[in-house]
Amino acid sequence: MCGIIGYIGRRDAAPLIIEGLKKLEYRGYDSFGVATAGAGIDIAKHQGRISEKGGSAAQLKGKAGIGHTRWATHGVPSDRNAHPHTDCSGTIALVHNGIVENYASLKRELESRGHTFRSETDTEVIVHLVEEEYAKKPDLLAAVQAVIPRLEGSYAILVLAAGEDRIVAARNASPLVIGIGDGEFFAASDMTPVIEFTERAVYLEDGDTVSLSRKNVEIYSHGKPVSRPVELIDWSLEDVRKGGFAHYMLKEIYEQPLAFYNTIRSMDPAALPEEVLRASSVTVVACGSSYHAGLIFKYLLEEIAGIPARLEFASEFKYFPPPVSGLVVGISQSGETADTLAAMKYARSAGCHTLAITNVLGSSITRAADTTLFMRAGPEISVAATKSFVAQLAILMQIVNRISDRKCDEILLQAHKAVEEILLMDLGEAVRVCEKAQNIFYVGRGPFYPVSLEGALKMKEISYIHAEGYTAGELKHGPFALLSPETPVIALCMPGNTYGVMISNIKEMKARGAPVIAIGVTGDRELPDIVDLFIAVPNTPLFTQILTCLVIEQLLAYHTAVALGRDVDKPRNLAKSVTVE
Amino acid sequence: MECVVLAAGEGKRMRPLTAKRPKVMLPLANRPMMEHLVLATRDAGISDFIFVVGYGEREIRAHFGDGSRFGIRITYAAQRHQQGTADAVRSVRDLVTGPFLLMNGDMILNHADIADFIQRPAPCMGISTTDHPGDYGVVLVSDDRVISLEEKSPHPKSNLINAGLYLLSLDIFDLVDRVKPSARGELELTDALAGLIAERKLGTYRLPYWMDVGYPWDMLDANAILMEKNPGSIAGTVEDGVTLKGPVQVGEGSILRSGTYIEGPCIIGNNCRIGPHAYIRGSTSIGDDCHIGYCTEIKNSIIMTGTKVPHFNYIGDSVIGTHCNFGAGTKGANLRHDHANVRVCGKDTRRKKFGAIIGDNVQFGINCSINVGAVIGSNAQFAPNSFIEGCIGDNASIR
Repeated sequence: MCGIIGYIGRRDAAPLIIEGLKKLEYRGYDSFGVATAGAGIDIAKHQGRISEKGGSAAQLKGKAGIGHTRWATHGVPSDRNAHPHTDCSGTIALVHNGIVENYASLKRELESRGHTFRSETDTEVIVHLVEEEYAKKPDLLAAVQAVIPRLEGSYAILVLAAGEDRIVAARNASPLVIGIGDGEFFAASDMTPVIEFTERAVYLEDGDTVSLSRKNVEIYSHGKPVSRPVELIDWSLEDVRKGGFAHYMLKEIYEQPLAFYNTIRSMDPAALPEEVLRASSVTVVACGSSYHAGLIFKYLLEEIAGIPARLEFASEFKYFPPPVSGLVVGISQSGETADTLAAMKYARSAGCHTLAITNVLGSSITRAADTTLFMRAGPEISVAATKSFVAQLAILMQIVNRISDRKCDEILLQAHKAVEEILLMDLGEAVRVCEKAQNIFYVGRGPFYPVSLEGALKMKEISYIHAEGYTAGELKHGPFALLSPETPVIALCMPGNTYGVMISNIKEMKARGAPVIAIGVTGDRELPDIVDLFIAVPNTPLFTQILTCLVIEQLLAYHTAVALGRDVDKPRNLAKSVTVE
Repeated sequence: MECVVLAAGEGKRMRPLTAKRPKVMLPLANRPMMEHLVLATRDAGISDFIFVVGYGEREIRAHFGDGSRFGIRITYAAQRHQQGTADAVRSVRDLVTGPFLLMNGDMILNHADIADFIQRPAPCMGISTTDHPGDYGVVLVSDDRVISLEEKSPHPKSNLINAGLYLLSLDIFDLVDRVKPSARGELELTDALAGLIAERKLGTYRLPYWMDVGYPWDMLDANAILMEKNPGSIAGTVEDGVTLKGPVQVGEGSILRSGTYIEGPCIIGNNCRIGPHAYIRGSTSIGDDCHIGYCTEIKNSIIMTGTKVPHFNYIGDSVIGTHCNFGAGTKGANLRHDHANVRVCGKDTRRKKFGAIIGDNVQFGINCSINVGAVIGSNAQFAPNSFIEGCIGDNASIR
């Protein structure tokens, strides 16, 4: 995720863009840059925070400009990889939010035609393609429209060219909104940087290209002129940042389908080295939610790929002798989790190949690992992990898929659609049961056991209700004593080899008077009759079932916490990343 | 010459009437306050306007559009976060092309005075006199030049005040750029003028007529004065048995039913239902789509669009927002037994007679009693028989 903004009008563009980028920093903040257009193109770009280094960029002259704040995906955070990127002549500048999936082949093609690349980004191919079209016919809009069909993936782009008194924009599957001012126009990833200047917004659709001049905005849909409605935005700045959601957590829950899909797509076949693909055994070290992701991975890897996997809390790992061989996987959203970092270094010193899974390019864990895989979740603001967890699962599921000869490619590419359906479900009845409870049990079997653990963690961390996850089988060995009509049980009961025994476990729990909320699949005839509340998810393959159950648990925890008036985004006593051991 | 109208602020002193609109769009004689000012300026010979808008800008844009309906040209400059008058002036840099007229959007002026004022050399400040100068910027004048300007002083040195009307040259843009935030954290235009004042370069013009509308109760005076000029006209239906005294204007689609008695000056908007047997006394203005029903008496009040005062009600010396509904028998007091000035939320209205300030969409049950000086927030709801006094917040539910 990155943030982009463009301005054309009567004011100096650079200071306005710098201020705007600060408001977009929640979308990424490892580097930033600005380009302004006059007779030529002037560019200032830096690795680092805008608040520290934005001063010089704000000095650029010109009444039209584009800016970018980056969350690295292709290429580490550096001055060179920061946007805007330029063509070979330096007269066309471009900023981009999204991922060009076919950039590698485009880059080879462009290099063979003599283009010189200055960065490691996927973005730079776009500007060189525009350069070629522009050389044929000096019309920036036509050039961008000619390039669009060649790009695969997601993008919102803004382009400037020397001597063209306009900005050309295009979007596909990345957000882009046009702000309509008085004799001035804005284009940005969202209204946050724009709302200070105008409340009138035009939201673009996929396939739209736009020309913003000082006089007007022309919008084209797949090359044909189109008019889009002007909407009046009532939101405050904070509202805009939350995208109209009441909390960041809910916004991030809703971003999960895209985060999963983007992460799945981002892992090209070359991403996994031989040490991973041929690993004879795998050890996973993680904390918190990441530990639960690791446990799901263990179940899937052992069952589907037949590779033995071991899982340890990162904080406990050092108390065991290190594995003598094999792969060690460290999972940390922030890449700074102290325990996980220490465990990775310990494993590496013992001669293991180390693989890091993180959301932050250039974070400490990437330096402690031999190989790093990045989640495509974008910055996560809410303390409770949601989309980063789902992005971790995307990576781990893709690893299982690759190791087991890619039987599940199609399943993984379709999974986000089932999650989108789940987001529309009404969980009101279940919330009313949970909000009254002092204790809640989460039970499941097989890979749904860690899903239960994660569901319980979400519930306790944001609603402050005591919640525990158990394997349904272990419940009888002690925790059964706690069951009563006051302790609701959330049971995950999916079709497959755990189904029959889950049904008997649920009956045993019912016999102790515990109210049971079951998550099962649509069309299940037996389960709805024996439980108090039945929540149906679509009947999908295992990978997708794990996601749908998880998202229901997140939503249940979120709505319960809201019903109890909790501070959802900043639960008491917790910090986003734990950088002490 | 271009005229810049400052209309970006909410006008917090007008709350709760500003919930849905900026102060300058509040109605006086059934037109937005600012329209009277803009038309007077147009009649003084100016046709190019720049409106600095922010709070509630969509209301202003929707009403004025490009100005063609009024025979003028309007350019807008958005000042979405109001950081003071100097910041507002900064927002029109590059939009004005020469010496220009700058005015606050919330005052009432005569067109002849504006025509006279714009003949003066810039820079020049419009000044006026008042009996409560402590609420304004107090000026000291010597040889028609401002020699000192003091904001909202507790001990004003004169009764001459800054009227909020200026004639400025393009030099002002360099001056406003140098302004530092004031004690209240705003970029003040008057700070930009300090240099001109020190050099005795800021001229003055005594406005023969000037009225600013600071508080809701000031609206009643302004409403009355603006209606005096209105000769009255009838576009709607007047049934037999209706008595009209003095100038009365009735809009299209409105019907005055039998037994209704109206003492002008009075303006009734479009599509209103009045009567039967309603009694409306002067200087009352009633917006569009209102219902003033059987045995209801209204006196010297402003009633905005869509409000219903339908049966056995009394409203006097009050300002009432849009889409309110009065239950049968609900009445408002407008005079204290000790005949002292009415106070609103502790502020002296300097009026012996004043009723209530009622926001938008307020719902009264039957037989509510509204005491003098009550302020009722928008969307408040009252159970039958409620006694209402003091300041009631937005969205309150009183039972």
